[in-house]
Amino acid sequence: MTPLLTVEQLSVSFAGLHALKDLSLTLAQGQILAVIGPNGAGKTTLFNAISGYIPPTGGQVWLAGQDLAGQSPHHIARAGIRRTFQNGGLFPALSVLENVLTGLHAQTRGSFLDIILGRRRAIESERDMIARARDLLTVMGMEKMADTRVGDLSGGQQRIVEIIRTVASEPPVLLLDEPAVGLSPLARDQMMQIIHRLAGERGTGILLIEHAVELVMAGADRLLVMAAGQGIAEGPPDEIRQNRAVLEAYLGHA
Amino acid sequence: MLSSQHLKLRTGLFWSVPVVLLALPLLTNDYTQYVFNSILIFVLVTLGYNIVIGNLGQLAFANTAFFGMGAYASGLAVQAGVPWIATIPLAGLIGAFGGFIASAVALRGIRLYYLAIMTLAFGELMRWLYIHAKDITGGTDGLALPVQSVFGYALTSDSVKFYIFLAVTVLLVKATLNLLRSHWGRAIMAVRENELATAALGIPTARVIIMAFVWSGFVVGCAGSLFALHTSYVFPESFGMLHLIVSFAMVLVGGPGSVLGAILGATTLTLLPEYLRAFPGMEELFFGLIIIAVLLVLPEGLASLLRKISPLFIERYYRE
Repeated sequence: MTPLLTVEQLSVSFAGLHALKDLSLTLAQGQILAVIGPNGAGKTTLFNAISGYIPPTGGQVWLAGQDLAGQSPHHIARAGIRRTFQNGGLFPALSVLENVLTGLHAQTRGSFLDIILGRRRAIESERDMIARARDLLTVMGMEKMADTRVGDLSGGQQRIVEIIRTVASEPPVLLLDEPAVGLSPLARDQMMQIIHRLAGERGTGILLIEHAVELVMAGADRLLVMAAGQGIAEGPPDEIRQNRAVLEAYLGHA
Repeated sequence: MLSSQHLKLRTGLFWSVPVVLLALPLLTNDYTQYVFNSILIFVLVTLGYNIVIGNLGQLAFANTAFFGMGAYASGLAVQAGVPWIATIPLAGLIGAFGGFIASAVALRGIRLYYLAIMTLAFGELMRWLYIHAKDITGGTDGLALPVQSVFGYALTSDSVKFYIFLAVTVLLVKATLNLLRSHWGRAIMAVRENELATAALGIPTARVIIMAFVWSGFVVGCAGSLFALHTSYVFPESFGMLHLIVSFAMVLVGGPGSVLGAILGATTLTLLPEYLRAFPGMEELFFGLIIIAVLLVLPEGLASLLRKISPLFIERYYRE
């Protein structure tokens, strides 16, 4: 099977310091690849480099035959790689529905003039998007909260809204930066279910940063272990569990 | 979700305001009519300014520059023989150009206090230009507008001006609501809330910032052309710090980010000095104290008070 996303020798260095060094990975359709590693291993740097928030100093990011490395974040998002943020990327003053609609921006039609003049083309596209957003909220059981300010939701609900917003445009690749952090065990299970459904039903390729190792051991198809900006091991969870380099990175020389 | 009955009521409420206002000239004298015309101009000034301050969340102070550019554009075009009514869109475009320049500053990564001081300098630079480009602008003496007419009616009476101002205001309020309730309007607020996360949704944030400034400049520029006719005189002192501070206060008192707030803020703070005339020597003091009092009691402005009274006044940024 040809991979959906291929990252080749991606590097980021600041003043000679390698935050990310020659990192390569492939992600297939419907696959969940978890990125784990100690603090400072470069996991978020990897996400930032793939999604355009930090320009890589070397390497490529291939999606659908196109190298996206070094493009601007909005261009990469439009190309089909969408991400969430560790510290939450929601718009707290906007409602749940308005937040989800921002995820459909690139799909919404109507020029500036169409909008200002209230032309049918703009209004119809807006209605279509609202219907799509409401459907998504219904599927996720959040339709009753459509008009609630996101800032007034619980932490777990906010995480779910962020995921809904990020996947509303049906991106082929999703980067989730610690989606379960700070959640109750119940909400964490719910989050993992959502991630599995996205991979299983939509075939979304998911790259997932997660600190809770037991969570990804159970939930991910493959694991990528990072340490000091490099990938030190990659494989299915069972294999990683036995890997010597991984044990060393986590536990020090035993 | 607002029921369709709710939506109809809201639409009805919106259009009933200008319809009722059609009768206003029957109830006013020359002086009060002049004040009401000022209100309409300030509604547009605040409406436009609010997009940058409230919706985009940028601390930019070039608003008075857009206003002055619109007023001078209109005044100069009229002197060149263009009928005043045709100078309204022209003034809007010149104001929009001013907005584009201001947005270029914000796009250079200059934000917060730095953006504030740079855009403040832009306004003062324009005022310097009005004063020193004497051959074109008339310098400190300003520009006088010859009497204008529309379809053969001389535009001397404030009642006739009122109807034109009202039409322009209603059109621009509606157009601004159309913008804010669209995907681009939501994008403007998304940039305010979290610019980095906005880009991750495939939204070109630079274009969003330019769009907000340009539309803000267009609305305020149009207000400038109304102002030129309103006072039939355009001179530099109208476009100084005082105008800027008053329009900033109107945004805050009304409620940043709210179209209803812009209307309320402009109306209240235009009427207030008229009532304060009863206290000679104390006007500025009371004006300031009342602004402070309103902001202490209602930090989200007068619009938040109406939102508490009825959900009809909650502004939604989508359109079903």
